[in-house]
Amino acid sequence: MRAPLLLLRGLQTTLATDNGALTVVDGVDLDVREGEILGLVGESGSGKSMTLRSILRLIRPPGRVSGEILWRGRDLVPLREPEMRAIRGREIGMIFQEPMTALNPVLSVGRQILENLRAHTDLGRTARRNRTVELLDLVGIPAAAQRVNDYPHQFSGGMRQRAMIAIALASNPSLLLADEPTTALDVTIQDQILKLLLRLRETLGMAVILVTHDLGVVAQSCDRVAVMYAGRVAEIGEVSAVFAAPRHAYTLGLLQSVPDARRIRQALRPIGGAPPPPGTVGDRCAFIPRCDFATAACEVRRPPLISIGGGRLAACVHGDRLQQAEWAA
Amino acid sequence: MMDTGLLPVLSTEAAPSSPGAPLLVVEKLTKTFPRRQSLRSLIRGEPRKRVHALSDVDLTIHRGETLGIVGESGCGKSTLARCLVRLYRTDSGRIAYAGLDVGSLKGADLRRFNRRVQMVFQDPYGSLNPRMTVRATLAEALSVHRMRPPREIEGRINELMDLVHLPRGAARRRPHEFSGGQRQRIGIARALALEPDCLVADELVSALDVSVQAQMVNLLLELQQRLQLTVLFIAHDLRLVRHLSHRVAVMYLGRVVELAETEALFTRPRHPYTQALLKAAPELDPRLRSTSDAVRGELPSPVNPPPGCPFHTRCPDAIALCMTVRPELKPLLDGRLAACHIAAAEDGLAAL
Amino acid sequence: MSSTVPTLSVAPATEPRRVWKRPPSAFILGAIITAGFLLAAIAPGLLAPYDPLAFDYDNLQVGPGAAHWFGTDNFGRDVLSRIIWASRIDIQIALFCTIPPLLIGTAVGSLVGYYGGIADTIFGRIVDLVITFPFIVLVIAIVAVLGPGLVNVYIAVTSVGWVFYARLVRSQVMVLRQADFAAAGQVMGYSAARIIFRHLLPNAMTAVIVYWMTDMALDILLGSSLGYLGLGAQPPTAEWGVLVSDGKNFMDTAWWMTVFPGAAIVVCGTGLSLLGDGVADLLAVRR
Repeated sequence: MRAPLLLLRGLQTTLATDNGALTVVDGVDLDVREGEILGLVGESGSGKSMTLRSILRLIRPPGRVSGEILWRGRDLVPLREPEMRAIRGREIGMIFQEPMTALNPVLSVGRQILENLRAHTDLGRTARRNRTVELLDLVGIPAAAQRVNDYPHQFSGGMRQRAMIAIALASNPSLLLADEPTTALDVTIQDQILKLLLRLRETLGMAVILVTHDLGVVAQSCDRVAVMYAGRVAEIGEVSAVFAAPRHAYTLGLLQSVPDARRIRQALRPIGGAPPPPGTVGDRCAFIPRCDFATAACEVRRPPLISIGGGRLAACVHGDRLQQAEWAA
Repeated sequence: MMDTGLLPVLSTEAAPSSPGAPLLVVEKLTKTFPRRQSLRSLIRGEPRKRVHALSDVDLTIHRGETLGIVGESGCGKSTLARCLVRLYRTDSGRIAYAGLDVGSLKGADLRRFNRRVQMVFQDPYGSLNPRMTVRATLAEALSVHRMRPPREIEGRINELMDLVHLPRGAARRRPHEFSGGQRQRIGIARALALEPDCLVADELVSALDVSVQAQMVNLLLELQQRLQLTVLFIAHDLRLVRHLSHRVAVMYLGRVVELAETEALFTRPRHPYTQALLKAAPELDPRLRSTSDAVRGELPSPVNPPPGCPFHTRCPDAIALCMTVRPELKPLLDGRLAACHIAAAEDGLAAL
Repeated sequence: MSSTVPTLSVAPATEPRRVWKRPPSAFILGAIITAGFLLAAIAPGLLAPYDPLAFDYDNLQVGPGAAHWFGTDNFGRDVLSRIIWASRIDIQIALFCTIPPLLIGTAVGSLVGYYGGIADTIFGRIVDLVITFPFIVLVIAIVAVLGPGLVNVYIAVTSVGWVFYARLVRSQVMVLRQADFAAAGQVMGYSAARIIFRHLLPNAMTAVIVYWMTDMALDILLGSSLGYLGLGAQPPTAEWGVLVSDGKNFMDTAWWMTVFPGAAIVVCGTGLSLLGDGVADLLAVRR
């Protein structure tokens, strides 16, 4: 077991909206280990992207982040903006779903990497230049030396995502936060970018939190997965273990919603209804209205995320019953 | 109300009513879009560049089947959908609906054709008029096409709401009060108001969450069974296409490169692009991991499609012939269609 | 299968949004001001304390006081009553200078925006031509040719003003035309007229209505300016611009003759602008 790089304890994020304060992240407990790829999966509104943004405290006031964000043992929540900037982009990098909105359209890609190198490393002028080409090469941009001076609009979607990864890598971060980095891409390009992330993890030993809504992406690229529902982690564990035997009714529901190649043109088993709007859950399991297993025991309190052995944690009262249900189906 | 207002030509034909008969036949369909031209190239007298969205597409959709169309962005699948419902005029080629040339339809005939072939759009947020209640949207469709006499319209709206499993009372609401999945149901209800034969579903569920996708898949299966709908299911999600389709066409750079029965296509893909696509689609089983890229390179520009086989720039098996001679979409031994020199040679149908 | 699929509930989450949001106070203020002027325009006899035309040689240029809140002019006429009666003309100007351009502009703009092509190119040239000249210069030139008088002002303003409405509607329609619900209308077999007028225009009108409100304010100002210059309403018709013009010679002896009609122009214009912003908020539709 590797040492935790990042620990989230009771992370809570509240946004101010027209209709009052909305708690979009509602007590997230999570640990990220050195060099692992952790998948953060859930439906829209589950709070997965907001969790990611909260780690870097990218929440605009009057929205606020509370709880503990322990980065190498140091709590980021009380840090002030200048101290936070030293961590953002240097120790923790981030890439986004839409590279075009994250890249600066009026600066060449090379220039943006150079600036990051100047801000976060003490390389000299020539060294920075060489490193820029090296980075573009590393992320698989063909003829990197010639493309250094190209602007983002001259790149294809996949190449832009590669360029954004290169910018994030400039400071040699120990953790990369990836917010749906392949959602806007075609499947063959998505495959290339995911494989690139896997290779980079190998060569650079960097940890990655990969936010996605695609269970296939998790299965193909993550070591561990955290399933989020209604602003909280429902279940976390090794990908193979979670996929083989989910221990939260929501995870089971998600996996069963996906079409099975053996049951072509037969009715799927969707999770009925819709997730609860933020702030309406109360002190009981958030999944009750959509759950086939719900009993009075689920009403007692919001089930805590507890260890169930094998390095897995789940927040479900009926984790044991799911197994039989799955076989019966 | 029985439908007697078919296209005049159609009403005399018996063929379209029997299941399995060709309903829509697409022949050599080509569609290009002009590109904005720079002043410099205009002065130099260079010809205007065009994006080749569809090139010589051949396709037959049989009555009652679900034909899946897969491909990545820029492969032309959405353009094809829009050509089929006459949102776009085609450059050349022919679309025949039950033997009738769709391209030449005008006025009342075109409206009658539109009644028969309906479309559901991808964007749940853009496809409904934000100022109209669901009732107004459905009532408009019913009254414009005189689907029901005025006093029966209210009842029919209720029926349509039932059909797509929305509460009847929701009809008085406006689109912004619904979730994405519910809006797609409204879009389907609007299309079904015209009692079409064929539903073109362009990325119907792509914008939705997994659990909602499953709800929509079930709805589509149910409706198809109840109403004997022919469905053209266009999507980039291979798992969904596999689940819903009887046959699947794979498109690449404006062309159909392979067309086969769903099982045959997914268990034994023959075109290298289909193979790459299947390999790139992330499997749900963590044990089936690979570390190598499914396919190298990116999509070539549709402004200057490569000569020969459009896939040769990325194909791992490409030979010299692929770079010069474009393979035709031809039947292989098992009856499927594929446009690949190598696959044809493997089946002994062509010499390399 | 069908029997087991539950009817979906429409999330009650949307309920709070349906709660009537209290309109902002700026909007309420704008509505009150506009309503006040409208009332004055409809029934000036009810509000005005004196006959606006009655000479009173015993009370020439009396300053503001209990009997005459806004004072009297050089013929002893009550300034407040004259302002109230004048609002009838000015509201008329606001409406007659804006409604014909609004109707013409909306029709032209929606057709040009929907169909594009050669008509759009020609329209583009007309816009270029019109915006090259300052609006007021064009209007004055046309009135100068036609001769002074309110009707000619209306003709002049309409012949130039429709372009601005059309430009606005065109750009809105061009964007909306790309929306999937416009394509859906086509696939549903709806006529172009139905798509334009029932689906696109209602979604384009918010911006038009807001512009209309500010345009009314500007046209009151324009009408008053022309009245001041002697090109608009002709004396003895009371009109705010004419009132200001009448009073200008007595600025140092009877400031109230110019200041109060001027204030009426400002307050009315402000009221319309506030109302316009408020209406925009109320009409805004969620996507």
